[in-house]
Amino acid sequence: MFKWFKPSDAGEGPARMHRELREMLAHGRHTFDAAANAFLGGADPEVVRKDIWDTDAKINELERSIRREVLVHGSVHGSSQLPVCLVLMSIVKDAERIGDYSKNLFEVAVVSPKRRGDEYFDDLVAFRTRISTAIEEASSIYASQDEDAARAFLTESGTMAKEFDRHVARLLGDEPGTDQPAPTVLCYRYYKRIVSHLSNIITSLVMPVDQLDYLDEK
Amino acid sequence: MSSEGAPASNTPAWARIVIVVLLLIVFLVGIKLLGGSFKMVGKETAKSLFEGLRNPFAGLAVGILATVLVQSSSVTTAVVVGLVGGGELSVGSAVPVIMGANIGTSVTNTLVSIGHITRNAEFKRAFAGATMHDFFNLIAVAILLPVELTTGVLQRSAVALTEMFAGAGGVAFKSPIKVFIGKLAGVIVDGFEALGLEGWACAIPTLACGLLFIMAALVFITRNMRVLLAGRMERALNRALGRSGILAMGIGVLITVAVQSSSITTSLLVPLIGAGVLSLEVAFPITLGANIGTTITALLAALAADKTDGLTIALVHLLFNTAGILLLYPIPAIRRIPLRMAEFLGALAVRNRLLVVAYIGVVFVLLPLLGILLFRG
Repeated sequence: MFKWFKPSDAGEGPARMHRELREMLAHGRHTFDAAANAFLGGADPEVVRKDIWDTDAKINELERSIRREVLVHGSVHGSSQLPVCLVLMSIVKDAERIGDYSKNLFEVAVVSPKRRGDEYFDDLVAFRTRISTAIEEASSIYASQDEDAARAFLTESGTMAKEFDRHVARLLGDEPGTDQPAPTVLCYRYYKRIVSHLSNIITSLVMPVDQLDYLDEK
Repeated sequence: MSSEGAPASNTPAWARIVIVVLLLIVFLVGIKLLGGSFKMVGKETAKSLFEGLRNPFAGLAVGILATVLVQSSSVTTAVVVGLVGGGELSVGSAVPVIMGANIGTSVTNTLVSIGHITRNAEFKRAFAGATMHDFFNLIAVAILLPVELTTGVLQRSAVALTEMFAGAGGVAFKSPIKVFIGKLAGVIVDGFEALGLEGWACAIPTLACGLLFIMAALVFITRNMRVLLAGRMERALNRALGRSGILAMGIGVLITVAVQSSSITTSLLVPLIGAGVLSLEVAFPITLGANIGTTITALLAALAADKTDGLTIALVHLLFNTAGILLLYPIPAIRRIPLRMAEFLGALAVRNRLLVVAYIGVVFVLLPLLGILLFRG
């Protein structure tokens, strides 16, 4: 019982919540990989369906757990910890959305998986790898709080977003270059949303609390 | 979110521990000075000052009002221990004051719940979460005060326990701590006497010093312990969120012993209840644990008391809170009574905000004032 009275500081709570956030991102990467593989023909949708839904349930529970912990942390430590609480409340939503968009991508995969030989196939495969790596990178950068790495990440994610927009613009035009433009547009759109949510998480390292999610307006 | 969180600071932990130890010494010196101050005006004069408290209802009212005014039952109970330990107040007269302090202390979290008043569902939960403590304490006093007045069971049990402890070597009453505290208090009294003060002229500054030391020490002990153990409190509360019963009660005891304030513990719960992440059923045992944990202050104060009666009244405080829990907690149907009463009041308060002001004004100010006016000797 006396161990209970050992001094402990305000940093313990956020450190624990940050670990849980990284766990959410790791689960998010897993669901994204599974869904993208299903869409790109690397996995049978019916085989990975349960895994995706179960992992997403873990992500959702972690989000609720972090929210509860944020409330406890704010109650115990008060206004000095308000910024970290607000940031966490904002970015857990971003981490949770990765699971949701992965599920959306999976739903497209069930209806209309992408076939090898399609003009966009190799590009989508390349982006799958880049996004999967980006999820891991975002998690590491958030853990290290490395502002230079954060800025580099935001530049890279901005570049990816422009490429997604360019593809979507072409797919919605007169010469889409594929006989399946709709699922391809949706895939690029979900890729972009996932990258955008990763960027939101990383903006918290370099932007004031009120500017979170608004990097593109700076 | 409570705005009264643990203040951020860069003071190292070891320095805070040293500060807390020094503050404990200041606290005990305050108790010693308080008990000693009345001796300066003569035993009979001192006793006559507390004649009014011989009526138990006046004592109860004084306990409530004094605690509401200083926003700390720890201060009230420590002062009572100082007075009883100094021989100015009898244990019998002090028992209702201690019970009143239990009621008075719950005003703090009720006030905290008002911070949620602009959001209906949140306020309903928060107000219920705060007032369940009020109702528990009111019911416990309504049962145990008449029982105590007719049987004296708490006092007799406390006396038996005191004799047991004192008989086991007089750990508390012949300890080097007590000698050391006595010497420090003596230096202050000698200082006043060196200025040529005597009788009332010496008693008043000594009493003022005692009260100031007690209040300041408790405020700063609470503040430092809150910073020192904030991380642990957070972890404990996180663990308590999904649990109920004895573990939650234990968490309430530990947090309150650590910060020396039941109000801190119960006020931490209010925003969590308001936000809906902590149910009344889970928060209730934590609150009851806080009632037990807060008795540590009176027990500490007894270390500096001249007479064993100081320890006796501190033990009455512990026994009263334990008995309240044993009466109202184990049987689920009875346990739910204060919770349902609090929920009912919360629902009423949402419909009519004036009820909140009326409730606090009547229970914590008007009734105690009337009690003092009607029942004082």
